[in-house]
Amino acid sequence: MQQFTVYKIGPEIKIVGVDLSFTNASLFMVISALVIILFLFFGSKEKKIVPDKIQLVAELFYTFVAKMISDTAGSKAKPYFPFIFSLFMFVLFCNMVGMLPYSFTVTSHIIVTLIMALFIFVAVTIIGFIKHGFKYLSIFVPSGVPVVLLPLITVIEIISYLSRPVSLSVRLFANMMAGHTMLKVFGGFVVSLGVLGGWLPLSFSVALTGLEILVAFLQAYVFAILTCIYLNDALNLHH
Amino acid sequence: MNIPEDFKTRLKIAKSKIKRPPINEEGKRGSFMGNAFKLGTELVAAVAVGTIIGFILDSWFGTKPWFIIIFFFLGAAAGMLNVIRVANKMQKEDKG
Repeated sequence: MQQFTVYKIGPEIKIVGVDLSFTNASLFMVISALVIILFLFFGSKEKKIVPDKIQLVAELFYTFVAKMISDTAGSKAKPYFPFIFSLFMFVLFCNMVGMLPYSFTVTSHIIVTLIMALFIFVAVTIIGFIKHGFKYLSIFVPSGVPVVLLPLITVIEIISYLSRPVSLSVRLFANMMAGHTMLKVFGGFVVSLGVLGGWLPLSFSVALTGLEILVAFLQAYVFAILTCIYLNDALNLHH
Repeated sequence: MNIPEDFKTRLKIAKSKIKRPPINEEGKRGSFMGNAFKLGTELVAAVAVGTIIGFILDSWFGTKPWFIIIFFFLGAAAGMLNVIRVANKMQKEDKG
């Protein structure tokens, strides 16, 4: 579909055989990042005691993420606040920028979400090994399992651990792509049914847009909270 | 002279309110929906990962299709395990 196509903007850049050209996907990532920077800059510029609208929203985001981290991962995860906050904001703003007409939804491409999820996965594994050394491998061996079943359970646990980045990335990508496709399909119905019959799909379209905005927020939230949960598993072994 | 007394009691009341923050209904409903979205992919992802591991092992050892079959079922088991874990966590959050 046209809204999901990636095309190059500007000259083709190739470094050691790797295509690093600037595409519309990169453009919209830059736009999302810039919107976040501007929003947080103006949100924290004047530190009023009684906040104005933009400061209020910025502080709301801050406390929302801070509370999420302390609820799910505990106080040990406080040093990772900047990472989770940037992750949450980036996913949220990519989703929201994608809701604008004629824009490109970066998170509706699996390669983007998969890279983010793999980064989290590798980072969490490294953090776990740094904090606990080889004792971290004990998450694959649950306590109180008969010796006969242990090899089987360990394999299952390893598969379960490896499925984390897949479920994390596929969830975000599938939700965003399915939502946008659905909007497109209903939009197509409006055109093909014309003035007489087009009102029903049009009203559906309006309702779906609302739903999509909810999903955009929810998926960013789920992405961030799952990162917190994985971080919690790595920081607090056996709880 | 009454004002400091008054202020102290008001501070006490304010502090006691902080200890028991009101349960945010909106936030709770949001996290429920988040959990609901979470469950579905959790099951599928583990099956997919298991099957991929089986496929890779098969092409390494040339034992098609045995590892795919074995790891498909192991993946399904891992998916169940994931779902049970998430459900347990949801239940715990619900009580606490």
